[in-house]
Formats: sequence, C-alpha cells, structure tokens
Amino acid sequence: MAKHEVKQVERVEPGLWEKSYIPEIARGLKVTIGHFLNNLRPNKEKHTTFTREYPDVPTDYYPDRFRGLHRLMLRDDGQVRCVACMCCSTICPANCIHIEAAEHDDPAIEKYPAVFVIDELRCIVCGLCVEACPCDAIRMDSGVHAHPFTDRGEAFLNRDLLMEMGGLSMAKQGGER
Amino acid sequence: MPKVTINGTEIEVDKGKSILRAAAEAGYDVPHFCYHPALSAPANCRMCLVEIEGVPKLQPGCYSQINDGMVVHTESERVVKARKAVLEFILLNHPVDCPICDQAGECKLQDYYIDYDAQESRVRTEKQNKVKAYPIGPEVVYDGERCILCTRCIRFCQEVTQTDELTIVERGDRAEIRAFPGRELDNNYSMCTVDICPVGALTARDFRFKCRVWLLTSTDSVCTGCSNGCNIHLDHFRNEVQRYRPRYNPEVNDYWMCDEGRLSYKSVHTDRQTEPKVNGATVNWHALAQAVADKLGKVEDPSQIALVISPQATCEDIFLAKRFGEETLGGVQFYLGGKLSGDSDEFLIKADKNPNTRGIEAVFGGTDSLKSFDDLLADMESGAISVLYMSGTDTPCDAETRERFVGLLDGLKLFLHQSPHAGEFADKAHIILPSCTHAEKDGTFINFDGVAQPIYQAFAGYGRSIPDWQIFLRLARAMKKPFDYTFLTQIQEEMFAASQAPEPEPEPEPEAGDDESSAPPPAE
Repeated sequence: MAKHEVKQVERVEPGLWEKSYIPEIARGLKVTIGHFLNNLRPNKEKHTTFTREYPDVPTDYYPDRFRGLHRLMLRDDGQVRCVACMCCSTICPANCIHIEAAEHDDPAIEKYPAVFVIDELRCIVCGLCVEACPCDAIRMDSGVHAHPFTDRGEAFLNRDLLMEMGGLSMAKQGGER
Repeated sequence: MPKVTINGTEIEVDKGKSILRAAAEAGYDVPHFCYHPALSAPANCRMCLVEIEGVPKLQPGCYSQINDGMVVHTESERVVKARKAVLEFILLNHPVDCPICDQAGECKLQDYYIDYDAQESRVRTEKQNKVKAYPIGPEVVYDGERCILCTRCIRFCQEVTQTDELTIVERGDRAEIRAFPGRELDNNYSMCTVDICPVGALTARDFRFKCRVWLLTSTDSVCTGCSNGCNIHLDHFRNEVQRYRPRYNPEVNDYWMCDEGRLSYKSVHTDRQTEPKVNGATVNWHALAQAVADKLGKVEDPSQIALVISPQATCEDIFLAKRFGEETLGGVQFYLGGKLSGDSDEFLIKADKNPNTRGIEAVFGGTDSLKSFDDLLADMESGAISVLYMSGTDTPCDAETRERFVGLLDGLKLFLHQSPHAGEFADKAHIILPSCTHAEKDGTFINFDGVAQPIYQAFAGYGRSIPDWQIFLRLARAMKKPFDYTFLTQIQEEMFAASQAPEPEPEPEPEAGDDESSAPPPAE
C-alpha cells in the first residue's frame, strides 16, 4: 500500500471568549443586520442581495442552447409537422412523451399524432427528442422555463398547447428529394 | 449426394437444392427479397446473386440448383458490388419514409441497406409517384411507392390460398400490385401477405400506426381461435397485446395463420373482470377462498354441484379442475363448456373453436365422463343441480339456448363464475373468480392433431386476476385439502404421468423456434 503523507492539524481549543457564545452570536448578528440595513438603502446598486425571486423573476442570462419547454413546429398551412414516428418517445430516457398515431384525412400526410402529450414534470430536459426527430417537428427552444406546477395534470402539455408555442420551420417537410 | 464448396466450406447437400439453401446449411446468409421458403422462387429481385466458378455471369442463388463439384462464392467482390447495385436500383423510387412506415424495424430493405449499400442516394430527379394507402383488401393496405415488386404476396395467393386475387399491373417503374378487377384481397389468410412482405408495402389495417415494432416484446404462444393451435409470436407492449404473428412450425401451421385467429387477440383485453367478488363485494383472494370453502362446504350432496370445464383453459387448469371436483369436493358433476363449432376449411381453420378439446380428452381420458351442455340445462331445470361452478364465459349453444341458460342462473343456490371475462354473468354470479387469459399464464394446449404445445406468460395478469390452476390451489387449501403443488412444472409432471396423453414426453412440443422474418432461409 502506498505511503500517505499525513499532516497533523492542531486542534484549536476554544477559549473563554468563544465558550461563552454570547459575544460570538452578537458578532454574527452584526454581519446579518449590516446586510439588512444595507439592502434598505434606496440606491439599489449598492444592495448586496445574491438571491433571485425565481420563478417570479427569471434569470437575465440564458445560454444560446438553453432548453426550455417543448414546442411542436408547424407546417406552412398551420398543421402539426410531427408525423408520429415515435422516434422521440422511443429515445426519451424519462418516458415522458406519449403519442397516439392516426391516419390523416389528407392523403399527402398519411400519419399524424392524434394525441401528443409530454409530461413536463417527468422530462429531464436532455434534448434527445429534438435530436431524434427526423422532420424538425419537436424543439426545446421555446425559451419558456418549465414553470412550477401545483397539479400534476397541468404538467401534461398536449398537442395544441405545444403547437401554440411552435412556429414554422426552415426544413423542408419530407427532406430534400 | 453432391458436394459443393461455398466460400471455401465444403458441404454435402441433397440433390436439387438451391444454392441459397445450401449456403444457409453451410452457414452463409445470402440476402434475398423475393425468395420465401414456402413459396416458389421466381428469382426476380436479383438480390441473391452469387458467383459460380466457371459461369461467366452471376446467378440467382434462390433458383440455381447445386451441381456436384460446384464452387460458389457468396461474399466475393463481384457479388457484393452486384448487391449494392441491386439495392440502389430498388431504392431508386423507394420513398424512404421509414419514420412513418410500419415495417421499419423489421424491414429487409432497411437491414440490407445497412449491411450492403449504406450510401447516399445519387438520384437527382423526381421519384416516381404511385398509389399510397390503397385499400387492396378489407384487412390489408397497399403502398405502391414502398413496394419492391418481389411478388411474394401474389405467389402466396396463387400457391398457398390458391385464390389468385393479386397481380402486377403496368410495367417498368409504374408497375404496381393490384387485385384483379372486381376482386379484392379478402381471403381468410390475407394478412399473411403482410408478414411475408419484405418491405412496408402491405400493412395490416389492424396494426397500422398502432405501435412501432421495435417497442414490441415477443412471447411464444399459441393462437386460441380454434383447435388447430397455430404457433404465434404474441407481440405485446406495455401489458397489451398488439398483434399476433405466425411462428414457423411445420407440424402445425407452417408459416401461416388465419385472419380470424390473428385478430382474436382483441378478446384478451375486452370485457375483463379483474376483482374477486363475493355477492358483489370486492374482497381479497384469501377472503374469497374462505368464503368459497365455507359455501361449498355447506353443500350436503356434492352431486348437486356442477363443474363446467372449459376447453379454452390449459391442460394444467383442466387437470386441477378435475382434481378439485373429484378429490376436494368429491363426486361433482362435470359438464363440457366451450365455444360452439364454426366454419372450417381444408387448410388451417378448424370447426372446433376451442384450443384445448383434446386436452380435456387427455386429462379425463375421453369426454365420456363429461356431460354435455344440454344435459346441464336439463339438470338445472329439473333441480338436480343447485350449485354451478362455471369456468369461462363460453357456452356451446346458440343464442336462444344461452338466453335460457342465463335465465336459469337465477334459480341457482350458488353460482361461482371463474373466468377472465365477465360476459352476462357479472351480476348473476354470487362469487366471481377472475382468472387470466392465455397471454398472462404458462400452460399447455393440445391441438386437434394431438400436438401438445406450450404457451408462455407474456405479461402480468389484469388487475388481481390469477391463473385458473392457482385459483384451484387456493380453494383447495381453504377447504383444508391442499394439493401438493407449488409450481406449474409439478402439475405438468403429474398430469402427463396420470393421463395417457398422446404425447408421452413431460415437456411438450419443442419450440419450432425458426422465424421467417429473422432467419433468412431456414434449413428445414
């Protein structure tokens, strides 16, 4: 076994000053009250708060590839781009995407998601669904933070909610031919 | 026997065998689309081209017969190049809509593309547009763009069902599969064309868009639609049967199964009763067993008890039902339940719609000791039977007689209903014993021919339903006459020892594990 260098640290025995506690508590309170009074100053620039009132006040900095709530992209005519191939729900490690495919009336579309529900509470925001999507139908670039839910049912975002956040895509549906 | 050398492996094969089969015996997989072991070989897809020394051109392996001293290469540079070219040709007008294609995941074209082609398309022109989602039959949907014109479906209709519905219309890149004018693909085996279609051109209307195949788990089972006992892959996802697929067994069903049997999976999930109930109150199994023991113990004359045995149950269930009736209760009357006979044909569909009639015969030594269902009605009317223990919901009688039977149930002192399905008996039964369907338990079925075949549990029982044999074990224990079993295998051993079963071996029919879709040319 390798020889370890052991450094002995001398234990500092508390003196009478520390043992009596009261003066040390007063010293700590001095720091707290100092911050409190400082934050009462009218000039907000001089405040020394380091907490954020999330989620009432969202952070002012999001990275470019920030992954927020999902959104479903739209075709040019406003229909959902998704073709219900289930690639996203297959790859999803959290099993949070539920799709029920159905036959579309339009013969050019063939398959579309009759039901598309994402459980945003289950979602681990990994972004694999976006990578798996073959037709740029699902994205996580809505910029909307998953807000806190008071009811589990609220976290199930259905197809229409997801499409409301969606937009048009540059990609050609069906790929280049 | 002629000797051939395939890729340096010398092998002796039967005279007249095709190179493709000989290569399979030698352990080499020759890719193919149009060749199917149960159909003739038209050699039209050109995917199985192989190089034969001394022959200037490549030859189709599915059609060329072996000669003595033949030297064949199936993986040479020329062959691989030809395969790549054939795949590129097939993919010229293929839509490559794998994400919305139901075949994706079990598609030969996908597999071979990955194995042999794996290049980007060089086509810069518009692809040929053909018919999409064309209803070629009541159960089958045809997609012309995906079709590679291997003609497997045509040959199936010509050679297996001999109904001749399909043909190729048009020529060249406009060729499509169509039913003859005025006809459609509606024979009793039409959905087999979906299985043999190597691509997603033919899809089953029932399974269409239902579930991606890569999510499915497959369990070996037996179809319960009729007494033929076709071997099936029971494909299920999230505790739900999604489809049946025939499993190759040359002794029973070859590669095929009928449409009716294929769609019979739906009964697994309809009309289920899931909670054990005594007089309408949901109880746990322990309390239920106690209640049953109490009530059956009070019956003074066991010959007043009728035990209806269902040929829908497995041999193990029937064996325990017999022991429960004879030993635990002592001297009850046995009656034969099950479904009414139906249509039959010369191929797979049998008139007896019960999967395990032969199982009852094996367990009871013939059906002489069982009274018929008509006798049950007569005995119930005369009052000779006051307690009815019924397994299954099926009755071998017409609708009118069944109505009469249901009416007679009100006159019973005690009616125990042990079944996966509720039927009309949900509010008639004093005691409901929910049991499992064949998808949720292990067991054995004996088909019309006397072939004993195992079924395996695919997923857990619905709700609190348990297999029939476990119900009998619980009831017998509650009646202080427990059976000496813990596992199903113990029952099987004793059952096969006790009965003069047609199959002497304790473990039933070995798995005919070969699956057409995964194993290319099975060396059967």
